[in-house]
Amino acid sequence: MSGTSAHDELRALVRDAVNALAVAPATSEVRTSDLSIDEELNLHAMGWEAVELVSGYSVFSIPMGVWSWGLGEISAAAEAHAKAFSAATRRLHHEAAAAGGHGVVGVHIERSVFSTHIAVSLIGTAVRPVGAGRVGDEHVFVSDLSGRDFARLVLAGWEPLGLATGASFVYAPRRTIGAAIAQQSQNVELTNFTEAIYTARELAMERMQRSAIDLHGSGVVEVKVLEGPMSFAAHAVGFTAWGTVVRLVAGEHHRMRPSLAVSLDDPAIVFDAATLG
Amino acid sequence: MVATPDDGAAAGFSSGLSVAEFAACLAMGLEPVGLVQGFCAMQIGNYAMGLTQMGQPVGGQGGYVENYQCPHGMVGGEHRMWGQNYEQTWMEQAWSGGFTAALDRMRDEATRLGAHGVVGVLDTETSLAGAGVIEFHVRGTAVRVTSTSSPSAPWTTYLAGQRLVKLFESGFVPVSVVAAVASVRVYAYCITEYLMGGGGLTMWSPSSSSVEIEQLVRAQSLSRDIVRSLARSQLHGDDLHAARLDVVDREHERGDLEVWSTLRGNRVRRFRAIEALPTPQPTVRLT
Repeated sequence: MSGTSAHDELRALVRDAVNALAVAPATSEVRTSDLSIDEELNLHAMGWEAVELVSGYSVFSIPMGVWSWGLGEISAAAEAHAKAFSAATRRLHHEAAAAGGHGVVGVHIERSVFSTHIAVSLIGTAVRPVGAGRVGDEHVFVSDLSGRDFARLVLAGWEPLGLATGASFVYAPRRTIGAAIAQQSQNVELTNFTEAIYTARELAMERMQRSAIDLHGSGVVEVKVLEGPMSFAAHAVGFTAWGTVVRLVAGEHHRMRPSLAVSLDDPAIVFDAATLG
Repeated sequence: MVATPDDGAAAGFSSGLSVAEFAACLAMGLEPVGLVQGFCAMQIGNYAMGLTQMGQPVGGQGGYVENYQCPHGMVGGEHRMWGQNYEQTWMEQAWSGGFTAALDRMRDEATRLGAHGVVGVLDTETSLAGAGVIEFHVRGTAVRVTSTSSPSAPWTTYLAGQRLVKLFESGFVPVSVVAAVASVRVYAYCITEYLMGGGGLTMWSPSSSSVEIEQLVRAQSLSRDIVRSLARSQLHGDDLHAARLDVVDREHERGDLEVWSTLRGNRVRRFRAIEALPTPQPTVRLT
């Protein structure tokens, strides 16, 4: 097909589309989505469709005084984190199932940790195989993978099962007075902080892996990590990890054989000055 | 300065499009005719904020209201005997009025230019000096569809460039940008206040362990429900595509906060069934 005829076809399509605005919408089922057109087309190519923009939220309190200097893990904060994530996910499942979705993709995760409470916000688009019936809350998967990555995953023979998360908050133990004086003005590793980070990391990653196993997954992809001292308690460090739990459903992993491509994205479109006239 | 239909040919056109988006417009047969803009400075009244009636806060004007009663049987002092979540409908209406006025003014400019649509819409809101005044600014590039009869009213979309091309090719036509806000005010009752303040084992708190703060969860959930419902009411049977939902907490003082949700997106209409697409193929881009 020549470039000119392709342009002519596109222009005719746009004219038809604009003229069709005079006609009232044909469908009665309204769909809402925060997916890009690329993501929607990827889903469509896989036989899936967007259904509804869905959301889940939870906030759990952290008991007073837990951030005071102590030893070991601040288990009350980790517990609040786990509960908030779980409740927000449960509400997302419920909204998605009520909308007819079988899963939620492209979930935006916002997590806020304050000294007194932890809030978790999840926003994404419920999706389903085209024309599929409803499923129960417990059968809905939740994933922070984009529509494109979801399509890649399915093509490779895998399926997303849900979000796995783990968090831990640990006190960095005080140095002795002698150690503090000896280390003053020195270039020296503060092993109490390093060790606290390692402890938090071990606990958080173990919890994330445990939640993946609970979902019967064989792995977690796109793991994100947040770590560092707490802004409101400099003597405590936090480590949080989350990602999408996946499982191989095909007999074996389908190897992807990428082909070389010259991008036809915006920068490569030929500028046609003649059309300005 | 926006060109008028009379002097458009002599003055050329202006556009907010990138060169790539401009090229994509030409490929689609969309001819840019001008950068069109609409403004509106809207004062958001606060006549119902923070008022009380018989010791109770005043609820929303016809919107969602939910009351919370102290379970302790305490009276007076600093103990919060009551709490309320209420939808600030007057703020939602003021925001919607300001946004719609700016959008309509941008559309009017496009109409005067003989445009069929406005692509690459951007909208911003800025707080002006003086309390409670928001300036809405909506702008985009007006386009004419070549070889097509005069338009009735211009369509609008946040999309431009290749994403707009793909939208048409997938069988959708843009109808309008859609934007809505929902505002839920939270006036905390004693339990919420203690939990937000680090609810430990005190005589007022429900538990010494971590518990869900129900009043905040309700406010957040309702704010999200309301904004999606308001956006849906603007769709009239069409779909909402490439939406963005933002939710922020604004704490005015301890135990008094507002959950503000904003939803923007593209109202699109299917004009033909989408064809079956080939299975996506992984590629390595030679860029």
